Amino acid sequence: MHPDSQYTHADNAAVIFNELTFRSLRVKNRLFRSNISGQFDDYNGHGGHARLNWEEKFARGGIGCIISSFTPVSVRGRILVRYAMIDNDDKIPFWREVGNRVHAYDCRFIMQLSHSGRQQDMGGVENLFNKGLSSTNKSDYFHGLLAQAMTKPEIAEVVEQFAQGARRARQAGLDGVELHGANGYLLTQFLSSGINDRTDEYGGGWEGRARFVLEIVRAIRREVGQDFHLQMKINGVDHNDWLYPWIGKGNTLDETVKICTMLLDGGKGVDSFHISSGSTFPHPRNPAGDLPLNDLHRWYDGMLSQGTRAPMNYAIFSNPILGRAFQALWRWRRGKVIEGINLDYARAVSEEIGKIAPDIRVLCTGGFQHADRIADAIRSKACDGVTMARPLVANNDLPDILTRQNGPEKECTYCNKCLLNDLENPLGCYDLSRFDGNSFEERYDRMIKQVMSVYEPPTFQ
Amino acid sequence: MISDNDRKTPVEIAVARHRRWWLAIVVLILLGLVYYLVFVNQYVVAFVSPKDHFMHGSIGSETATGPPYWVFKALPVMYSDKLGPEGWGRFGFLYEKPDDDLPIGVSRRVVSGVERVWLNCSVCHVGTYRLPGDPVRHLIPGAPSNNLRLQEFISFFIDVGRDPGFTADALIATIDSPKVGGDLNIFERLIYRYVVFPRVKSAFLDLGTQLDFVKRQEQWGPGRVDTFNPYKALQFNFPMDEAHISGAALNGSSDYPAIWRQRPREGMNLHWDGNNDSVAERNLSAALGAGVTPVTVDRASIARIEGWMWDLPSPPFPVADRIDQAKATEGKTLFLQYCADCHGFKDASGYSYDRQRFTRLGKTVPLAEIGTDVGRWTSYTENFAAEQNLLYAGYPWRFSRFHKTDGYANHPLDGIWARSPYLHNGSVPTLRDLLEPSARRPSVWSRGSDEFDLAKVGYRSDQSAGGDLFRYDTTRPGNANTGHEGYRYGTELPDAAKDALVEYMKTL
Repeated sequence: MHPDSQYTHADNAAVIFNELTFRSLRVKNRLFRSNISGQFDDYNGHGGHARLNWEEKFARGGIGCIISSFTPVSVRGRILVRYAMIDNDDKIPFWREVGNRVHAYDCRFIMQLSHSGRQQDMGGVENLFNKGLSSTNKSDYFHGLLAQAMTKPEIAEVVEQFAQGARRARQAGLDGVELHGANGYLLTQFLSSGINDRTDEYGGGWEGRARFVLEIVRAIRREVGQDFHLQMKINGVDHNDWLYPWIGKGNTLDETVKICTMLLDGGKGVDSFHISSGSTFPHPRNPAGDLPLNDLHRWYDGMLSQGTRAPMNYAIFSNPILGRAFQALWRWRRGKVIEGINLDYARAVSEEIGKIAPDIRVLCTGGFQHADRIADAIRSKACDGVTMARPLVANNDLPDILTRQNGPEKECTYCNKCLLNDLENPLGCYDLSRFDGNSFEERYDRMIKQVMSVYEPPTFQ
Repeated sequence: MISDNDRKTPVEIAVARHRRWWLAIVVLILLGLVYYLVFVNQYVVAFVSPKDHFMHGSIGSETATGPPYWVFKALPVMYSDKLGPEGWGRFGFLYEKPDDDLPIGVSRRVVSGVERVWLNCSVCHVGTYRLPGDPVRHLIPGAPSNNLRLQEFISFFIDVGRDPGFTADALIATIDSPKVGGDLNIFERLIYRYVVFPRVKSAFLDLGTQLDFVKRQEQWGPGRVDTFNPYKALQFNFPMDEAHISGAALNGSSDYPAIWRQRPREGMNLHWDGNNDSVAERNLSAALGAGVTPVTVDRASIARIEGWMWDLPSPPFPVADRIDQAKATEGKTLFLQYCADCHGFKDASGYSYDRQRFTRLGKTVPLAEIGTDVGRWTSYTENFAAEQNLLYAGYPWRFSRFHKTDGYANHPLDGIWARSPYLHNGSVPTLRDLLEPSARRPSVWSRGSDEFDLAKVGYRSDQSAGGDLFRYDTTRPGNANTGHEGYRYGTELPDAAKDALVEYMKTL
């Protein structure tokens, strides 16, 4: 906490732990868990007990609302296997149980309805012979993941998949849905001027590019009505040219604000916006932090069969000089700010949307883990609440900590080892420096114990 | 029926396609690299010492004109009946050491994967001498060649080109013979049979066509060159038949010049007839005579040589103790009186090239006044000068200073002892002879010995002198030994005064 701050921790806590009301949703505080997940579930997309444990521990830690992990609306839209899906009614009982678990802690649960589009890291054996559905035939420029421009019947089919996903979420008793329109997934692939190269009514200017999302919003409203919370995660700015400066930059903040305005759909559209940035995943701005080269070298190998550029990336990451150079590029393209990296974008959206629809809320993601920063963000009206993921993986009870003090004793270091390990290992904090112990072995044992805690209690006892 | 049970995934298909593209690109790059390294890039042996570079370094003549190394090595063996055991020495080529691979003035360069050889500056600008009673031949780098029989050398190549016995089989067999030791492998033999030999044969035949006029010329003899007529034919395709060139213009053979101390010569009228006052242009033009073309010229190499000869000292008289200092002192006074205004002067402080003091130095003397043979002057025409000034058009080093003059130019006489025979056409064997009226100069004499006459200063010209002698007949076109005579030129001085002048000129 800044020593010269005019606000005490009590002042900050009062702002953070103040109830937030949306048009159809109430959250007990201003802290949301952002979408993050490990491969905890069955291969076919049915949820497993580890996910129940996983979600429950954040609810137990005091978070006001959990936004689910990336939840595919169809098997074609997976990013990784062993992620619970919402592609069929047979998934409703599992998600109902998830809702029950977190509701017990007065924690709300929003399902993130997602579709990978071309950004499908490991689509599983079901997708082995498929190209990723997308707005374009151009492959993803980072991994070289292949893409296929969607036909209009395919667009209509995916719109309906989102709508049915929302219906299932409501039937499961969850508290709302979020459309994942940020970070390079299918909805970004339509929204971004740097990716969408269509010449039909789903491409061209921002109105055309947003048509697909607007159709989803309207289809969802058709299924769930107006009293079910619907929010949109969207890039403030795409920064699509982070790796290759000569390609399109993607959407500007101005275009994003226009798209958000359109998605209000005259008061019948979305209830809130969740502001992020970066039109790929990963992206130097999302999750904002470092690029752990050793973990890249160890765990990126699973991508070798998935993308045409993955072998080149792997060679770069494995090379002592090129790997360092890439890491330097990553840091340079990220910039110096991590905590609150998207705050200015959120502020712009808040200001403009607030003029039209004051009851629309804005959430902001990006490295938040200190009470003073979070309170300042809300107090300045840049956003109404913040979402966080890695700081909660590091400290599952971070909300409880923030009630008492400005930040945790052992902060998240934004090392992004959790992100890289997720490709092959259970999700958890893999930053050994955060664990106590007098030797490597002691610290490693504690780290593994923490990672494996998600499997406790086991399914059968 | 092909099974469809093990289909490639789209990623695998794309990667394989990418891999084929990359493979194609890599192969193209490699082919390009090989093409560049073998067929574009040229490889030249470099010499650290400027003098060695002058003697053996390439100036770019091989690229367009030079035969392959193995052809050059094989020809003296194939035609030993004409060249004899001397080989290329038959044409006056010199070797620094007896076991040298190539003679002085023949450089090498790998062009399009084939090592080729041809001439450089030193082939025409290395002189030799032997002191009386001493069999050792001394080389003087920078002095005019007194041995090179360039006309015979050219004729030899023309004859080879027209020889029915000059076949690929004969050439390859000779190259592979123990005397040459080429030991070509099967690929090299194929290249020689289907690429090298046809080109060499064609080049020799073309040479014969372009230089056919040479057989109509008077014999140049050793140490002389027709500078401009082959230049006209080879560079500009001038018609050289009898209808287009007069007998006088056809026979303009001259001695090679010395190339030392070029710095003070900058701005003087260079060449025998003074047709250019730029040392750089003169050098670049002379390189064309050695076989470079405006495209192939290695200007960096020529610049090295130019830098070397910029301040190259003239050689001292080889037996200084044989100079009669008293007579030389007397001759010095006479030289100042009769010669210095045109040729500069040397005293204790060195040779003076001061054109303010010696007002006719570096200027031309009209033909009517100088009276020497007109052949060399006639062979240089205004049309030719105009063509020369178009050479290297578009480049900063384009020629611009060539022009037709009214006579022959006065040059400094530094190292004059090493430049015999005298007058531009080498028609007067010694300095002492030059001080006689033309009627008393030798009219028929022997040229080609490098045995030195220390008294008269010049190579011995009698029939009993050693060496491969050439009968120089001053009555033949282009060979006249007239001119540079009369009171003004000292030919009416008493014998003792002439002796004194010669004695002094040994010190220059």
